Amino acid sequence: MNRKFLYLTKVSLRKKFKTKWFVITNIILAVAIILLLNINSIVSFFGGDFDSKTNIIVVDNGTDSYSLFEKNIESYASTINSDEDGVKLAVKKSNKTVDELKDDLQDDEILVELNSDSTEYLKAKVTSNEKIDTLTYQVLSQSLNSTKTTIGMAINNIDATTLNNISSPVTIDRVVLNEDNNVDENVGLIMSSVFPTVILPFFMLTMILIQMVGGEICEEKTTRSMEIIISNVSPKQHLMSKILASNIFVIVQGMLLVVYAVIGLLISTNMLSSGMSLPSEVTSIFDSLVASGFIEKLIYVIPLTLILIVLSFLAYSIVAGILASMTVNMEDFSQLQTPLVFLSLGGYYLAMMAGMFNGSVLIRILSYVPFLSSFVSPSLYMMGEIGLVDIVISIIILILFIYLILHFGIKVYKVGILNYSNEKVWSKFFKAFKNKDV
Amino acid sequence: MLEVKHITKYYGNNRAVNDLSFTVKDGEIFGLLGENGAGKTTTFRIIMGLIDANSGEVLLDGEKIDYNLTDKIGFVTEERSLLTKLTVLEQLKFYGVLKGMDESLIENDIDKWLEKFSISSYKNRKIKELSKGNQQKIQFISAIINHPKLLILDEPFTGLDPINVKMMKDAIYDLQKEGCSIIFSSHQMEYIEDFCEKLVILVKGEAVVSGNLKDIKEDFGIKNIMLRGDDLPLDKIKKVKGVLSVSKVRGEIEVKIEDKVIAPKIFSLVKNSNITKYDVEEPTLNEIFIAKVGGIHE
Repeated sequence: MNRKFLYLTKVSLRKKFKTKWFVITNIILAVAIILLLNINSIVSFFGGDFDSKTNIIVVDNGTDSYSLFEKNIESYASTINSDEDGVKLAVKKSNKTVDELKDDLQDDEILVELNSDSTEYLKAKVTSNEKIDTLTYQVLSQSLNSTKTTIGMAINNIDATTLNNISSPVTIDRVVLNEDNNVDENVGLIMSSVFPTVILPFFMLTMILIQMVGGEICEEKTTRSMEIIISNVSPKQHLMSKILASNIFVIVQGMLLVVYAVIGLLISTNMLSSGMSLPSEVTSIFDSLVASGFIEKLIYVIPLTLILIVLSFLAYSIVAGILASMTVNMEDFSQLQTPLVFLSLGGYYLAMMAGMFNGSVLIRILSYVPFLSSFVSPSLYMMGEIGLVDIVISIIILILFIYLILHFGIKVYKVGILNYSNEKVWSKFFKAFKNKDV
Repeated sequence: MLEVKHITKYYGNNRAVNDLSFTVKDGEIFGLLGENGAGKTTTFRIIMGLIDANSGEVLLDGEKIDYNLTDKIGFVTEERSLLTKLTVLEQLKFYGVLKGMDESLIENDIDKWLEKFSISSYKNRKIKELSKGNQQKIQFISAIINHPKLLILDEPFTGLDPINVKMMKDAIYDLQKEGCSIIFSSHQMEYIEDFCEKLVILVKGEAVVSGNLKDIKEDFGIKNIMLRGDDLPLDKIKKVKGVLSVSKVRGEIEVKIEDKVIAPKIFSLVKNSNITKYDVEEPTLNEIFIAKVGGIHE
């Protein structure tokens, strides 16, 4: 490879890595990611009133269901208490009047009145000084419902097995004839919560990449050093050196983010072994992902997604470089890059919302479109909307697109980097595109 | 030797350079003059291979200029072309390596040049922290660090005080002695008169004046007679056929005549007037430039 090209790339990389801001930013990122992944332990470490119990005082107005209700409460509370964030409840029956209890009601007390009802079997009145936290209210409400069901069963002579048969969900034996699409429909729901988190770093790195390529080219133009540089290396080599350096930077930055995440998880795992646990939401999502075969699919989709991401980085950086060559200062580039940013943002939102438009032909077509494909294709594949072949098609389209923008874009770039006028920019752009003198 | 042969360049329908030809021999300093927008920058860009001419060719030592030859060319642009966030050392290394020099060996050369221009103490300072004059010196060093075969200087003395101008002039003369062909462009005509043996004046991309400076002045015809003395017969002088103007310049009388044959007539009129100065001078380049460029505009 040309010595000057390598030198330009090296200088460009040195400018990016050998700055105090790169070090500071990465320290902040590492700390933030590690803290986020260990937020549970950190919150626990700083302490708080985690052991306080909520006392449920029950006044049974002739329903004779207190003992049933108490059992249900204990049962539900113990299920939830297997997690770190469980609730601690104590139930007791009171013979005092409701008015007396209300007068003396403490902030950690909930007053529950159980009343009989001829049609609904059981009605309850729940009184507290403050808002009840969500988990406690959930336990309370489910316990009341179970109590009501048991009373209803007894009154109507329904045995437990019959009730279970009635209330259990229909068993669906799901068969999908197309093997590529053999996927759990619940994945769509999971995707909407997991995928935005997974692709957010890619979106952010794309933004950094666009800024980086454009910024550097703009700087060389505004300082007029461009003429000296391209009198010694060809515009093509110049552009490619910027693209290569910026892509290496974002890929390394992306890998560093993964390293920070792994360190965070390792610390978290260490804490797990010493008695702490992952947040219930994380374990629940992870369990669902494993059950739906999502993790298994990742093995196939990860390499293809990585190829798509790297190619998309290339496409974004080439276009950013060409746009930057047409601008005269950083302000102009900021404006000119806006469509590119929106395109990337559009891809991000489409990937998030893909689950809402199951079977949409438009979304499927958009998954082939360069700039969008790296966001949308993997998302659709994970939901079983498209197969591996479709991702491969997206990759081929992206490669063709890169070839075309390089082929035509370099003509624009060659003219653009020597243009210092804001007049008729688009006219010059199209003339250069058609290989005419501008 | 640089040979520019019949180059023509259009931007759309606008003709920037029209059939321009000139030659700069080894060790020769050549002036390229023209008002703003006359086509100088386009000519430089064509010579540097940054843009292609629609017709014509540019040869350096008989070879068409491409990226294999640009290492032998130094270019000082009119506006400063330095990456201001870099240090002096980083900047000079950067341009030096791009001109084909070895990164590991370049620092010795840099030290020599910095010392020659008395700016060694700024070696590790950022460009943006330097004065305009010192930035100009860095720009000049970056253009000549590779001992170019062809040096293009577009307003190289901008922002320099007389001492630094002399320092840079000496460096240019040293390069000339080494056999470097130099193209010099400036709006300050006294520099061109100082340096250039040959020149071209461009107007709207066309060479309206071209050749040796001495011949150009000779052919221009108009001469200036500078007079100092008592009771000079100015009214009689004004009436002489061929006298274009009579004016007072810095305490002396300047008589502009349309041809040198008028000069003896003026002398015969003033010889009895107790004169202390009678000098027939060539026209200044400034006068020629204004006459030629102004004439086109009229």
